[in-house]
Amino acid sequence: MAKRREVDKLSELLANFNGDLLGDELPRQFTDDSIKVERIVLDLVRPDPVQPRRVLPDRVHHAFHNNQLTPSQALREVVQIAQVAARQRGRPFSNLLELLPDPERDEEPDLRFTPEEILLRDLVNLAVTIRDDGQVNPITVIDVTQGVIRMYRIETGERRYWAAWLLRDFLPGYEGDGMLDCIVVPATSATVFRQAKENTARSGLSAVAMARQAALLLLVVHGYELPGYAVTNDFYRQALDLRIPRGEASGIYAAMGGIDKVYFSYIKRLLCLCDEAMELADRYNLDEGVLRPITGLSPEDQVEMIQQIIQFGLSGKQVQSIVQEGVVDDSEQRQEELPIFATKFVRSYLKDADKFSPDILWNAVYREKGDPHMAHAYLMRLAQMAMSAAERFSDEG
Amino acid sequence: MTRSIVLTNHKGGVGKSTSATSIALGMAGLLGQAGAKNPRVLLIDTDSQCHATLVTTGRDDFGAEDSLYAVLMAERQVAVQTLASVLVPSHWDENLHVLPASPLLEQAERELTGTAGAPYRLADPLAKIASQYAAIVIDTRPSFSLLTEMALVAATDAIVPVEPRYLETVGLLSVIGKINDIRDGWRIPNLRVSGVLVTKMDKRVRGHRNMLEELRAHPLLGRLLCGVIPMNEAVSYAHRAHQSVYVQDPKAPASRAYAQLVGRLIKQMSGQMSSQNGGA
Repeated sequence: MAKRREVDKLSELLANFNGDLLGDELPRQFTDDSIKVERIVLDLVRPDPVQPRRVLPDRVHHAFHNNQLTPSQALREVVQIAQVAARQRGRPFSNLLELLPDPERDEEPDLRFTPEEILLRDLVNLAVTIRDDGQVNPITVIDVTQGVIRMYRIETGERRYWAAWLLRDFLPGYEGDGMLDCIVVPATSATVFRQAKENTARSGLSAVAMARQAALLLLVVHGYELPGYAVTNDFYRQALDLRIPRGEASGIYAAMGGIDKVYFSYIKRLLCLCDEAMELADRYNLDEGVLRPITGLSPEDQVEMIQQIIQFGLSGKQVQSIVQEGVVDDSEQRQEELPIFATKFVRSYLKDADKFSPDILWNAVYREKGDPHMAHAYLMRLAQMAMSAAERFSDEG
Repeated sequence: MTRSIVLTNHKGGVGKSTSATSIALGMAGLLGQAGAKNPRVLLIDTDSQCHATLVTTGRDDFGAEDSLYAVLMAERQVAVQTLASVLVPSHWDENLHVLPASPLLEQAERELTGTAGAPYRLADPLAKIASQYAAIVIDTRPSFSLLTEMALVAATDAIVPVEPRYLETVGLLSVIGKINDIRDGWRIPNLRVSGVLVTKMDKRVRGHRNMLEELRAHPLLGRLLCGVIPMNEAVSYAHRAHQSVYVQDPKAPASRAYAQLVGRLIKQMSGQMSSQNGGA
């Protein structure tokens, strides 16, 4: 690199002959600081590894950001995961375009796609839109160039980035130039607050992503350095012990989409979920309301509950009641399921069991039926039923 | 749109590499000093002799994997990625980046001759990263070979360095004609001859003075004349020390002339840009 003295010599010489350019007369295009849309080649753009809103499944996300997978390989993984999920549900696909809704195909009425299929279908849909109509909205990137290596980190628009790769490497009919329209934000203007506002202003931010976002804001205001590589959930969990410093609350709540103190604490509390629970909740985009009651459970119970929530579509109230009351005991359940007449009969019998005698029983049945044969038949049936019921003792006792 | 200035002349030893490196460094330095938002300048060496590469990076051992050769031979889809990966910083200035040449470029030329789309093998990937630079300066080899053609296809402005000697100036119009032929042949409307740079001017030689007068008086060439670089030993010393002439001897006439030229080119670029923007 040039020595200081050499730089000074050059600067002095250039200044001697170009004083006007060093004043206010440097052409505007060299000083123009306004936001511009630039076309940037896909290869020079990278998603933000600590972006709370994740597009790829966790495993692929980490492998990609640890440079174990190229963008194309990461997408191939996503495609394979979706193919396996689809095959298990009896709707295999080989061509990505088959994922798109076909008006001429009879869809099953209550077809429930897995999150992987939904992710891939959305990406394919976006890619086809870009192919047919062009990229309507530019993505926002931060210039993180160091030295000669040009690099841009995505602030918002990661989905469009993956769709562009999908279009370039996986879909037929691509005739583009492998470039993305990008709004370039100088690294000095990029803050986690800006990113949070961009994220929360858009719909579809999952509760878990909100929790990660809250964690990032807390970590930043407490002076933590945000890493440039993929982080585990433990990084975000550091925020669990942090409180909002005096004077920062309004900025943080505003960046989180104008939420209040109580909701912020609920959101932050989601960081207590274990990794598996967090991933499931993020993939299935579960609301904070259904997750809130399970944050205090053991990791195994959290996962179990989340699976129940996903399978049965439980509401927050139902989850709360299950967590508070626990699972009802089997025997009680059996009792609840007994018909009313049986309960009445048994209660009446148990109440006066000591007063019963064979004569009383015969007389009572005979009076009710008015025929000795019928009375005999009913009593024999009762005796057999009582004997069979008594045999349950040896089965279950 | 980023301007790409190519320095070309089929005559050797007229100061193409010296001018290319001095212009590139001067622009990066001046834009950096003036507080330009993006002062980065890219110097592309398409000459297999690697002189511009050697003086600006201190190395001339770039090969098949880390030089312009790699970009030219890369598959179309990965050419940009290859280009971005082979750029190196110059030891002259952190804002000056170099796409280094390699002796293998001779081989590339042989291999690519007759290949469909060969003249665009530099222009296509370069267009995708051009916006990241304030300006691009391209040094060419002393011939109108395929590599020079590639450089012209990738450029927006051609500057023709010429010594103030009779035979050189006689061939000047044919050089300009050749550049125009390439522009028309490959349909590159952005390319234009934007300057004639007189180099190695020795005012003590009457022949040089006369030739310069004749150039100035010429209706076309006089208008294109963009600078006069005096003959200067400092240039040779600078090459030997792998230094820029500015640093080798800031008071040398050549250093001062290049410093003036750089300012003029930046103003000229802004004029072109505003007229383009206005036109658009």
